[in-house]
Amino acid sequence: MSSLIPNFLVSKRNDPDEIRRRGLVQVLSIGLLVLSLLAFAAIVIYLVVNPDEWQQDNLLALASSVVAFIVSAGIYQLNKRFSGLASFLILLLLVIVPILSDTAEQVVNGRSLFLFTLPIAISSLILIPAASFLFALLSSIVVISLSLSIDIFPNMPAIIGFFMLALVSWLSARSLEQALNELRSINANLDKVVTERTQALAESLDRERVEAGRNQAILNSIADGVIVFDRKWNATMANPAIKSMLDIPIELISGKNFSEIIEHPRLQPRSRGLLYAMMEHETQPIGFRIEWGGKTLSVSAAQVYNSRNENIGTVTVFRDFTREAEVEKLKSTFVAIVSHELRTPLNAILGYAEMFKESIYGPMNEKQVNMAERIMKNTQRLLGLINDLLDQAQMEAGKLTIKMAPLRPAELLEGLHSVMDKTASDKGLALTSEIEDSLPETLNGDIARLQQILVNLVNNAVKFTDKGSVNVRLLYISHNRWGIEVTDTGHGIPEAEIPHIFETFRQVEGMTTRVHGGFGLGLSIVKQLVSLMSGDIKVRSKIDVGTTFIINLPLVVTEINERDRRTS
Amino acid sequence: MSTLALIVEDDEDLANIFAEALRGVGFEVEHVADGQVAQDRLKAGVPPFLILLDMHIPHISGGDLLTNVIKKEEHLAKTMVIITTADARMGETYGEMADFVMIKPISFVQLRDLTSRLKPKDE
Repeated sequence: MSSLIPNFLVSKRNDPDEIRRRGLVQVLSIGLLVLSLLAFAAIVIYLVVNPDEWQQDNLLALASSVVAFIVSAGIYQLNKRFSGLASFLILLLLVIVPILSDTAEQVVNGRSLFLFTLPIAISSLILIPAASFLFALLSSIVVISLSLSIDIFPNMPAIIGFFMLALVSWLSARSLEQALNELRSINANLDKVVTERTQALAESLDRERVEAGRNQAILNSIADGVIVFDRKWNATMANPAIKSMLDIPIELISGKNFSEIIEHPRLQPRSRGLLYAMMEHETQPIGFRIEWGGKTLSVSAAQVYNSRNENIGTVTVFRDFTREAEVEKLKSTFVAIVSHELRTPLNAILGYAEMFKESIYGPMNEKQVNMAERIMKNTQRLLGLINDLLDQAQMEAGKLTIKMAPLRPAELLEGLHSVMDKTASDKGLALTSEIEDSLPETLNGDIARLQQILVNLVNNAVKFTDKGSVNVRLLYISHNRWGIEVTDTGHGIPEAEIPHIFETFRQVEGMTTRVHGGFGLGLSIVKQLVSLMSGDIKVRSKIDVGTTFIINLPLVVTEINERDRRTS
Repeated sequence: MSTLALIVEDDEDLANIFAEALRGVGFEVEHVADGQVAQDRLKAGVPPFLILLDMHIPHISGGDLLTNVIKKEEHLAKTMVIITTADARMGETYGEMADFVMIKPISFVQLRDLTSRLKPKDE
């Protein structure tokens, strides 16, 4: 049905312009309804008051008001479904009513002429804007036809006025519609933006919730105990693992200051000191050990920074290290026992061999003495090996410590010569040494460990040198560094092997244990000892020219006091 | 003066070697392998001129013998003590109370040379 009606007459229920127009038509039709009712009532009252006025004219007016009422009601109803059609009819009514309600002269040239302006002006509001031209045309036709029917010249200014009014109506209605359209599109955009923002906000909230949930789930399920502290070391978060690890209720952790937590009596005093140091110095230690109750815990701490790079707190992670600590202790005990058990019989072998060599039980011939010497030498090698293993084990367990005391560099070289001179001369090598003049006469160091470093390096140099010399120099590097340099004229180390020579149990390819009697622990121990002394070691080597090891150590100049002199 | 040397050492071979070294320089040698026996021997009987004291011995440790017997008994005041141990830390701990500390492995020649210097001069 709607396809038979011109487009602008069809009701588009969701078109906001249509809704606006329908509202106007509704008001208009109700207005007409009321108007026709009032007209009817007024005519009836007039006729009752003046019974002699019952004439054709007045009866016609009465009938007109009834017709107007019925038509208005019809339009009102029609407007509900076909507002375009209703608008059209109401406008048509506004055109027809003046024609019927006045004389032709008055309509085309008198008092009723202005009534045609009503449908023209209203049409652009309740139909499409251009409809004003349609009604200007319609009104013009009516005026021209009526004029011709009574033989007068059509009122041309009125007709031009109709079209001028149509133009003005059209323009104003059009701009009104455009303004409304723009407003609507702004509104729609605004709605869209609000919807998008709301959705984005909801999504990010969701994500955050999921993220937070996941983080919490991770924290809750890991075996490590975690406590998160704010800038002032108040615990803001703790996971369930920490509760069982420290065996204290979570209320004694959450919200409490770190200093309160570590006042717990179960914490060993030395461990408390370590934790205080961590808190006060804001260090970020990784895996230091504390004793809590019967447990050994490994503690790591990391400071947390926000996007503006401000420190916002610290995350501390506690790991139960009890089992590992036991194993380590067991291992070091095992190594200690084994090395003791190995050393005792080796000492006996060494002693008996010496007794042979010293001809304690009667004279020995040269070959027998020689054999005794071989036994002694091999036993010494084995003993050296056990010592290295023991040192290595102690270093791995972190038990080997450096004991600093004043020492004279000259002492170091004296000790070295007494141990290594024979080894070098047996191989036909010269072992020479010198001390740089600028090196202070006394300095701080662990004499036993420095001696061990020197012996290991010289032993190594002798082992890999067939002719020439091994030279040891003690160097003054700067006001706070001193050094040890050991140079040989030996085989040299292939460049590719240099990065690996300090590894445990490593010997350069092609120089087998059988030939050189080494075991590859010596250099590893030297490197670790140097590190323990906060120094570093470098190596320079050229094949068939020789190798130089340079150790760089912190220099602390001291004086040997009287007590030290007596005991040393 | 007595030239008696008491060897407190639970390893038979080492005791043997030490004894041979000490005899070689003219000491009379007595050997005990047990802490308890050593304590009984030290509390009664002739005070030795020299004790070679191992730290790891059964029943009573060398450290306890040194602290509670040798340093307490009046008649042992003049007795010289040489600690023999494989554990350098033991040597550090008890070194102050002893005259010498020898870290194992102990060389026969080294022990012989040291004790020959300590031995009382023949009158």
